[in-house]
Amino acid sequence: MQSKMKESDPILEVKNLFASTDNLPILKGVSLTVYPGEIHAIMGRNGCGKSTLSKIIAGHPSYKITNGDIKFSGENINSLEPEERSQSGIFLGFQYPIEIPGVSNLEFLRVSTNARRKFLNKEELDTFDFEELVKEKLELVKMDKAFLSRSVNQGFSGGEKKRNEILQMALLEPKIAILDETDSGLDIDALRIVASGIKKISNSQTGIILITHYQRLLDEIEPNYVHVMAEGKIIKTGRSDLALELEKNGYEWTDNFVKKT
Amino acid sequence: MKIIEKIKTNKLAKNQTEIQKICLHKLQSSPLPNPKSELWRLSNKSKFSSFLDYSVSEKDLKSDLPYPKNSQNIIRLVIGENYKINLKEENYSIQQLNEDKLDKFIKEQISCFDQNENWCNLLNLSLSCKNNILGLKINGSKIPPIEIFSHASNNSLNAKTLVIFLEKNCNIELLQVNLGKENSSLSQSTFFFLEENSSLNHGVVSYGENGSNLLNSLNVIQQKNSEYNLGSLHFKFNYARFEINIKQSEGNAKTNIKGMQITKKDEQISTYTKIDFNGPNGFLDQINKSLADDKSHAIFEGSIKVPKIAQKTDASQLSRNLLLSNLAQIDTKPQLEIIADDVKCKHGATISQLNEEELFYMRTRGITLAEASKLQLSSYFQEIISFIPVSKDRWNLLDKLLNEN
Repeated sequence: MQSKMKESDPILEVKNLFASTDNLPILKGVSLTVYPGEIHAIMGRNGCGKSTLSKIIAGHPSYKITNGDIKFSGENINSLEPEERSQSGIFLGFQYPIEIPGVSNLEFLRVSTNARRKFLNKEELDTFDFEELVKEKLELVKMDKAFLSRSVNQGFSGGEKKRNEILQMALLEPKIAILDETDSGLDIDALRIVASGIKKISNSQTGIILITHYQRLLDEIEPNYVHVMAEGKIIKTGRSDLALELEKNGYEWTDNFVKKT
Repeated sequence: MKIIEKIKTNKLAKNQTEIQKICLHKLQSSPLPNPKSELWRLSNKSKFSSFLDYSVSEKDLKSDLPYPKNSQNIIRLVIGENYKINLKEENYSIQQLNEDKLDKFIKEQISCFDQNENWCNLLNLSLSCKNNILGLKINGSKIPPIEIFSHASNNSLNAKTLVIFLEKNCNIELLQVNLGKENSSLSQSTFFFLEENSSLNHGVVSYGENGSNLLNSLNVIQQKNSEYNLGSLHFKFNYARFEINIKQSEGNAKTNIKGMQITKKDEQISTYTKIDFNGPNGFLDQINKSLADDKSHAIFEGSIKVPKIAQKTDASQLSRNLLLSNLAQIDTKPQLEIIADDVKCKHGATISQLNEEELFYMRTRGITLAEASKLQLSSYFQEIISFIPVSKDRWNLLDKLLNEN
């Protein structure tokens, strides 16, 4: 199914992408186009390649693109380093945010925000100005200022880690955010806080890809498109009712689909 | 090896003190450590020889200290600068140990020395002339932080000895800085005697320049209810060896050690620790970190002895190591020797590389690979650095030195 929002150019175009790690093929021809203002959901069984797709778009060095292109704002980014992708506006929200002991969250957020600001030709922020900015963004995810003085994600609960990811997204103001199972491990209240944060950050100029297993996140953030992945490719695309169908019928049908093709 | 020839022919020093004579006598029959012994087998022979290739210098050239003393509330001493120390304040006193007491203490220590295990101390005391031995007796409370510097001079071997008696109920914070100069060797031996209920927060920061060598031996005796905390950092030496010998003489004492060595180029830095529990209820928490880059070699060997008398000992020794290059080498061997049957002891070692997932996470936030690696290394240092009693201005210097290529 083609996107209908064609008034502007796509933010992200993944064309017939094949990728492998340690000579093991993972992605086997993924195509996906995201236009500004769109929210896409990618669903599928564990191991179908959803997280790999997100990591490859973000530039994980362990994966090798063997065929196909990733275009971001019209430019091929296959050979860009992860930091160059981030600076230019691609954000990956991790399923399992990494703990970095000894690195203060505040300093980490400041360094990464300034890397993005530098790319955007905006003035880099000193500690004081940054604290003002971050205070404002903390409100979005209802996080306490005390989180800033702790080491990055260290000792954070699952929910706190996910909120910290959304805080980073808010600070980096990406053009496209790929959120890998941001809803996993969250209770209902935390899920609502995270979903509300995502909605406040997104706008008509940004694209969002939600990778999820569950309908409950999509109840909070309604996607324009739902894609089903199996065996390393997108096998079906539909509107939000496709997610409801999956919730009801599960993924067994995807096995038959893969066998047939 | 000029020094060894002089030991053999007893031509090491004119006007030898009694201590020098005793030590030389112990070394003469076998002037070098056994290269096949566990304690010396990994020592790089050519680098070790380079340590011994300089002539002994008893006088130091005046050396600039690495950072200014910017607080009046710090007591700063340089071993080898011949002062008479006699500080008597309302709450505390710091006095020079009298010669008899100093000689008696050192002789007692020497009588227990094994030629191989304590070779560094024997060499140091053979070489240290009176001017280069600083002995202090400290008591009281609210004692200002103390800094003690030792440094080598270019193209020579300097030997410095520090002896400190910490009297009952006394708490101090002491930073010891060992500075290597270009093409030099520094032999530093330190002896602490911690009386009952005393506490010492001890920092050791040792760094050199091109071609610096260091033999640094630290000996601590802890009486009951004393606490000894050591944070140490050794880097930028062609060859450095840090030996730590701690004895909890009656048990019931606390020891915390956090040490780190950083090796680059073709440097070799090693740490050997021996902790003896000689009574019950002793406590030890030790972590040693090594970081080896380029073609360098880092070594850690730890030994904890828990004899039958040391029941209820609680000891932990961990060795964590980071290998930054395919050509670098790390050897680590934490060891426990337990005879007592009611103890809680653990040890372990890990060797890893920079965490790729951490690096990727930082890079997806726009941080370059070089910056991400630097942040990761800083976090690796942090646990150790935060344990060294250094103020912010000293830390700025350390930060600069640690980030030099």
